[in-house]
Amino acid sequence: MLLIDCPFCGPRNESEFSFGGPALTPRPSDPAAVSDADWVDWLTVPPNPMGLVEERWWHARGCGSWLTICRHTVTHEITEVRLGR
Amino acid sequence: MPYDVTITRLPLRALFDLKGTATALAAWCGTALPPFPDRPNSRMEAAGRGLCWTGPDRWLLMAALAEEATLAKALRSEQAPDDLSVTLVSDTLTFFAVTGPDATEVMAVVTPLDLHPDIFPQDGAAWTEAFGIRSATRRIAAGYEIAVDRSYADWFEESLRRAST
Amino acid sequence: MAADPYRLAEGGRIDRSRPLRFRFDGRDYQGFAGDTLASALLANGVRIAARSFKYHRPRGVMGAGVEEPAVLVELKGDAASGNRPATTVPLTEGLVARSVNAWPSARFDIGAANQLAARFIPAGFYYKTFKWPDWHLYEPSIRRAAGLASAPKEPPQGAYEARHAHTDLLIAGAGPAGLMAALVAGRAGARVMIVDEGTEAGGALLNRCLTLGGQPALDWVAAVVAELAGMENVIHLQNATVWAYREHNLMMVQERAPANSSLLGRNWRVRAGQVITATGAIERMMVFQGNDRPGVMLASAAQAYVNRWAVPPGRRAVVFTNNDSAYAATADIARAGIEVAAIVDARDGVPDHSRALVPGIEVLAGQAVTSVRGGRRVRAVSVAPIRGGADRQLDCDLLAVSGGWNPAVHLYSQSRSKIAWNEGLATFVPDAPAQAVRAAGAANGAMELDRALQEGVAAALAALGDLGRSGQVPELPGSDDLPYTVSPLWTAPGAGAKSFLDIQNDVTVADIELALREGYSNIEHVKRYTTGGMGIDQGKTGNVNIIGAVAERQGKSPDEVGVTTFRPPYTPVEFGAIAGRRAGPVVLPYRHTPLTRWHKNNGAVMYEAGARWRRPGYYRRAGESFQDTVNREARTVREGVGIYDGAPLGKYEIKGPDAGTFLDWIYTNVMSSLTVGNGRYGLMLTDDGLILDDGVAFRLAPDRFLISTSTGNADAVGQYMEKLLQIERPDWRVKITNVTSQWANATICGPKAREVMAAMGSDIDLSPDAFPFMAFRDGHVADLPARVVRVSFTGELSFEVNVRPRDLPALWKAAMAAGAPFGIAPVGSEANHVLRVEKGFLSLGHEVDGTVDPHDLGMSWVMSKKKDDFIGKRSVELRRASGRPRRELVGIRPLDPNRQVPEGAPLTPGGRKEATEGFVTACVWSVVENRWLGLALLTDGRARIGGRAHVRLPDEVIEVELCDPIFHDPKGERLRS
Repeated sequence: MLLIDCPFCGPRNESEFSFGGPALTPRPSDPAAVSDADWVDWLTVPPNPMGLVEERWWHARGCGSWLTICRHTVTHEITEVRLGR
Repeated sequence: MPYDVTITRLPLRALFDLKGTATALAAWCGTALPPFPDRPNSRMEAAGRGLCWTGPDRWLLMAALAEEATLAKALRSEQAPDDLSVTLVSDTLTFFAVTGPDATEVMAVVTPLDLHPDIFPQDGAAWTEAFGIRSATRRIAAGYEIAVDRSYADWFEESLRRAST
Repeated sequence: MAADPYRLAEGGRIDRSRPLRFRFDGRDYQGFAGDTLASALLANGVRIAARSFKYHRPRGVMGAGVEEPAVLVELKGDAASGNRPATTVPLTEGLVARSVNAWPSARFDIGAANQLAARFIPAGFYYKTFKWPDWHLYEPSIRRAAGLASAPKEPPQGAYEARHAHTDLLIAGAGPAGLMAALVAGRAGARVMIVDEGTEAGGALLNRCLTLGGQPALDWVAAVVAELAGMENVIHLQNATVWAYREHNLMMVQERAPANSSLLGRNWRVRAGQVITATGAIERMMVFQGNDRPGVMLASAAQAYVNRWAVPPGRRAVVFTNNDSAYAATADIARAGIEVAAIVDARDGVPDHSRALVPGIEVLAGQAVTSVRGGRRVRAVSVAPIRGGADRQLDCDLLAVSGGWNPAVHLYSQSRSKIAWNEGLATFVPDAPAQAVRAAGAANGAMELDRALQEGVAAALAALGDLGRSGQVPELPGSDDLPYTVSPLWTAPGAGAKSFLDIQNDVTVADIELALREGYSNIEHVKRYTTGGMGIDQGKTGNVNIIGAVAERQGKSPDEVGVTTFRPPYTPVEFGAIAGRRAGPVVLPYRHTPLTRWHKNNGAVMYEAGARWRRPGYYRRAGESFQDTVNREARTVREGVGIYDGAPLGKYEIKGPDAGTFLDWIYTNVMSSLTVGNGRYGLMLTDDGLILDDGVAFRLAPDRFLISTSTGNADAVGQYMEKLLQIERPDWRVKITNVTSQWANATICGPKAREVMAAMGSDIDLSPDAFPFMAFRDGHVADLPARVVRVSFTGELSFEVNVRPRDLPALWKAAMAAGAPFGIAPVGSEANHVLRVEKGFLSLGHEVDGTVDPHDLGMSWVMSKKKDDFIGKRSVELRRASGRPRRELVGIRPLDPNRQVPEGAPLTPGGRKEATEGFVTACVWSVVENRWLGLALLTDGRARIGGRAHVRLPDEVIEVELCDPIFHDPKGERLRS
């Protein structure tokens, strides 16, 4: 049970949040202009390092903010939490 | 030995979901609203109306059900400027009061929120979880008030009853 | 009933004014308040109290606390629980216990015959032997024979509680280091929780005879406990174990005797800013032939029994040690009247300060106990010089052993903090922390009392510093504890098949050697192959010995062998305590609509139908079968008028200048062109081109829309929309409000729906021209403020009357009254399923299964060609560009009209045993065709309409005719009527 320091609410249990997957780069503004390979890469090859990774979490049971957090996949240490992207 | 606590299901009340900046909302709603709280997850009261700051640009206005029509008229949801959202949500929540000497003991079973007065002061009001579902929690005179989505009310009331006996 | 004949006349921390009766293995005994079951059994001379896990060897009490490896008991009666170490069961009046894994009793155990076969049951024996044809064939009987306690048959009498807590500092352990830390942090005003597994505070001080500041150490303990009790910022729990250390300092605490006496126990989830593990140290066994015989006991346990419980566990003792701590133990047991034959010390050099503690007792330095005599209990031991030489026999009935001390690093290690080998202490000690945690006292390798107290102070001050507070160094009382030195002896000469490393799991030196011979050289593999350290005690007395024994045999240092992973729980935890009050009818949340009572009063069979909603499945009438009911309800809608509780439907208001743009982006079709008052059915895809949800969008005002979602996906759609707006399009001005619970609806559907609406009374013009299909109107129905929507999920004329939930019962009542002349009847989810299948409407979870796109469902019309982009467009096009065949929605009619096809059944080419070419998504008894029919997803299905396909079941093949997936009113005239 992680403890996520929501910028609005303060530290709250992971159970108040929904996991929204690893942070992807912004969605291409014109997907039709992106090559097939790049589109598939964007869609299906999320970052998955052994170390710090950026993830999206939704404070579903709290203030309703989508957060981006920087979490260490081995130690769970959270080095940054910010609102939005 | 059961906990010394009283669980009460409270009647409906007037609720408005407000979205937008405090400045824009204050300009539109004028005197219908209490002053805006200045700390996240806190509440201001005036003339029996309470205003909670529940999220970035998110607010919840509470009043007695008798005020519902008056407030709806004053807030003019339909005409609100397009960068504001004013939505009547009175029916969405069912409120429970947990009061009595052991209220904090029972709340420790109900919610993972840290209710220490330094962390969750007298004017504290926040969305959090209770028995694992979304709930709005605040302090009241002799204890706490918890609101959950109306569809969970029966289950929640039974859960509260079990936690307090 | 015998009094406890082995009790000393005085002393101990028992209350002799409160005798307690108890029953063990069918016999009655007496003990005192303050006893554990183990101390009471010893006081009654019960030496064989258990049988071992695998070989059914007789076992007696070996420890005095959570380390106890040998005597597990099953408690009966109201407090029934299994596999409790007898040393951790406080004696209570009327306690009934029995030994596990022994029948009929530990003294006379039928399974003891296994001992004779012991050499045929080595490590891995079961895996090697019972593998043909299938291990699972043998498993049940093997589990029965090599068993632990059986689970209680009845639920516990009473309740458990699970609760949350928050603290600045959690201290695990109320021994000297923990108490000192609590004192410092408590005085500094921090929120402190101090949690200790014992029934009273003091830790090892309870078992020893030490002084602090010239007074008995327990006087100091009492004074500190009293001071802590007066601090409002301190929570002090005894008889409570910190059993898990989780992420971000979440600590799990099991409290076994809460102050609230209506509770059997409770589990605390404590979020701690800082943690101090002051969990003490656990004594190791010595490893030699016969080291499990009743009468062999940890030296610290023997010391505890005489000091704390006034029970001498023998009359004549031999002490076998490799370190100094056993000398103080020897002094204490000798003072209690036990004759000590000799101290056998594996070390060549014994420090003078240790010898000085035991004047007059022979010390055999450089020697080891090599075997034990006595079948059912120790009668004598053989002692020999370690470097070789003649052995010598010493008569005794108690062999007190001390293999050195292991800091209890379990919690520290569970935090993912590092532990490291300490050569001087010959054990693993805490190293670099991974969370906000510190170890203090014996748990940190500070084995002497003065150092433990100092570490308690230092840890508290450092924790306070990290919390942004400061504390004061208190007065430190001096103690008479002596230095601790150790020189490991991992296995005594001659150790082998009867030398137990893991007493609980019957793992011997020979087993370890076998594992190494068979190539399991990694310590994690040795553990799994032999099960060493995998018992309920988690190898508290044996794990480091296993590592040492492996190191010795591999010619490595224990450091190189490494340590296996420490996992929670530290000690056994009841499932009930974890669940707490969320049991029985509230174990999972359930949701209800405002009409639940009405439904139940009118014969509805209620069950969960997605997103935790309990909904009416069908309203059974007397004399009807299930199918009769469903048919009647479906016919009611097709031929007359039905009413359906649609309260759970998901609803969101979407507001802002960019609302139309946003909806155009998330729906496959265009929503921004909707005029106020009208709605449009749409699909939402995710960017992988798969269907997320379907629903209807209505335009309430130029900048306001209301969208409906499927019941099951309401929350997921809300999350998805917020994510898009907050992460991908923060510059778009759109606000979303969930109004699912602000609007409830009763859907009146069927050819006579308009008449019923009219009879209810409405200020809305209900004529088809004024109020066409897919429009909504605000007004009143039955004098209630309402938003009426003309959508249809049944294919019939429908009015979805949305009102505030507080008004829904009144609306429903009015509809039932107004509809009575038209034969109105309530309709449940089962009939709705039939109606939508007949109409070929899709259902998420049936036809939409995470592989299909809208084209597969014959819904190409919903995929806008005007828009350059919408979510999912790119991936749908990309996937279809390959031209590979796809599974497409078709209708099916079994050739035998009376043959039902199970939903989910596979379709294979010709019904042969080949890869499937699709599956049946739904099959219902149609009231319009009076036969079974259904829907299926089938490879190239649309091109095959008119042909046949085959459903392959385990024992038969059902042939079906393929048809268009709309069976009823394909032109949609009825729903538009």
